[in-house]
Amino acid sequence: MRLGFLEGIGQVQIRSNVVLAGKVCLVVILLLVGLTFFGCAGIKSSPEGGSGATIADGTLFLCPTLKQAAGGFSCAAPSGQGKLVAVNTSDGSRLWEVALEASRPAGGGFGCAQPSVPVAIYGNPAVAGDLVYVGGYNGKICAISASTHLSKDAYVNESNHQPIVGGPVVALGKVYLGCADGKVYALDAASLDKEWEFQTGGKIWSTPAIDGDTLYIGSFDKKLYALNASDGSKKWEFSTDGAIISTPLVDNGTVYVGSFDRHLYAVDASDGSLKWKFMADSWFWAKPVICNNVIYAGCLDNKVYALDAKTGDKISEFDLGSPIISSPVLVDSLVIIVSEEGKVFALDTGSNQPPRELADLKEMVYAPLCASNGVIYIYGTAQNLYALNAGSGARLWSQTIK
Amino acid sequence: MQPMINTLIVLTHYLFNNFGLAIIALTIIVNGLMLPLTLKQIRSSKAMQDLQPKLMELQKKYAKDKERLAKEQMGLYKEAGVSPAGCLLPLLVQMPVWIALYQSIMRVLAVIPENLLGLSKYLYSWPIVYSTLPLQNKFLWLNLAAGDIYLAILVGGTMWVQQKMVMTPTADPKQQQQANMMLWMMPLMFAFLTLSFPSGLALFWVTSNVVRIGIQYFVTGWGGLVKSTPKKEIVRDKKYKQRIAEVEEAPEGADTVVPSLTQEEGLGHGESGSKRQDRGGGYPKSLRAARRQPRRGGGHRRKRG
Repeated sequence: MRLGFLEGIGQVQIRSNVVLAGKVCLVVILLLVGLTFFGCAGIKSSPEGGSGATIADGTLFLCPTLKQAAGGFSCAAPSGQGKLVAVNTSDGSRLWEVALEASRPAGGGFGCAQPSVPVAIYGNPAVAGDLVYVGGYNGKICAISASTHLSKDAYVNESNHQPIVGGPVVALGKVYLGCADGKVYALDAASLDKEWEFQTGGKIWSTPAIDGDTLYIGSFDKKLYALNASDGSKKWEFSTDGAIISTPLVDNGTVYVGSFDRHLYAVDASDGSLKWKFMADSWFWAKPVICNNVIYAGCLDNKVYALDAKTGDKISEFDLGSPIISSPVLVDSLVIIVSEEGKVFALDTGSNQPPRELADLKEMVYAPLCASNGVIYIYGTAQNLYALNAGSGARLWSQTIK
Repeated sequence: MQPMINTLIVLTHYLFNNFGLAIIALTIIVNGLMLPLTLKQIRSSKAMQDLQPKLMELQKKYAKDKERLAKEQMGLYKEAGVSPAGCLLPLLVQMPVWIALYQSIMRVLAVIPENLLGLSKYLYSWPIVYSTLPLQNKFLWLNLAAGDIYLAILVGGTMWVQQKMVMTPTADPKQQQQANMMLWMMPLMFAFLTLSFPSGLALFWVTSNVVRIGIQYFVTGWGGLVKSTPKKEIVRDKKYKQRIAEVEEAPEGADTVVPSLTQEEGLGHGESGSKRQDRGGGYPKSLRAARRQPRRGGGHRRKRG
């Protein structure tokens, strides 16, 4: 009897302790959730990717954005699957898709450990013959056959799986790309075997540009490199005061590249000497375009600058209201520019009048633009692909690609 | 947040392009700037803790009269010159600053392209800011952009020490149990969270905890961390030993009662007693045996001499 009474007291005590522990847990969890919510608001914890489109033989190739759950918890991983999607350019219908092998997360929290992380892809796919090449954030380069949809992949650096952010470029039977391990790689286009590598002093997020037998690429070490495309030997390097992320534009013996030091540089392609530089109010993230000896460069200071390609003198500037992240595209005599907030503008290179607003997509646009046969293709961060008439801005079709 | 982000970048530039050192430096600077508020908060918390025994007595006494209880409590606060908001207000003022610092570190780390793009919106047009970015995320053995187990242990350890210093024993077993649970739960949860966050943020937590431990030490000593008897109480011990000796030397039957600390401090009869929280006041542990207590079996106090 007495023992039963004591057991009863014990049970009440245990129950009380459990309730108390529950309350304390709740307080601590609420505190941490609040801290995480306020602390991480607006900061993404996982790469979402989202490439621009590449068109070959009437087929558009695209790697969709991975969407991350709102709220910004560190454990929130992007949903979806890293993949290459082939789209029919005439109506936006999906032709086929190939999923890329998800990677296992490197270390991290026990509770947050996920079985696999979808591969984010930022760089535009590169097409050569039947093969489509994409570089993944998991450090793998993947070659996918457009006819059989079979894929082959390889880590560019077997011992250090650093992200590939810039896109690959195919030329001279090789695939060229930069990696966040600071190296430029040249791989055999068929076998993906490494042909050569070149070490820079910082991460590489830039997509290389090939002109003749020279490869140009920027690095976080604030330098622009000119390498011999056949063997990776350095021809010259050009130092700036900021990291270089944008893809260089090569035209008529001059390399044009934007830097994080807020300058757009024109460098002699033969010896790496400075021709001129132009200073803006923020970074040049997008690759510029050139038409009739005028450089059109979008900047994160919301402006598009029209500069004399020979002297760097400013011809005009246009404020588009939000940063220009997406690289513009030239369609006949029109420079098509999309601002970050999704407004599409057409700048007539003949008249140099203020750009005309073609459309308002009402979604953020980061990916480079693509154009073919007078149609511009724009992929937004809300996973919608738009086909617009470059002249009128009329929407031909739009599809959600995820 | 914008000033903090730019300050972090400038500090990185001047501290050998080392972002880890910049985080430590900025955490110390922010702590220094908020020192008056922190001190106010610590002192207010201490004063509130000191009042706890009296508040508990009031709660017992006026358990059925809430209005009177509130009135008496307010009177007590007024008498002691303590404001209940005193420890909360500085904390509330500091919260946005901490969140801004926390956000700044996360933004400046900018490991993925989306965050680097987002960072561009917060930058001042100082050339130094533009030329320093993007930052290197290596510090000691750490990749400041990835979680680290050793730093997680450090976060948990320093948080435990800081909480233990603040913690004072309470007579209410429920409160004590709650405090003990918080003492372990918070560091464990933060350590766990640290594994999933970039270690740049964990570095901020560790530095912040160490600074707070330092400030707490200079204001209240090691507190609950070391069970030492403060000087003030040693003086009281001596005083009580003296009085007890006087009482015990007094002739039997005089029914002299050793005055309690609460009586000495001016509390009315009935507001103190054997159930009062033992916080070093009243009878020290060493003298409890000497206190006049009813004996089992109704025995009398032992004669001396």
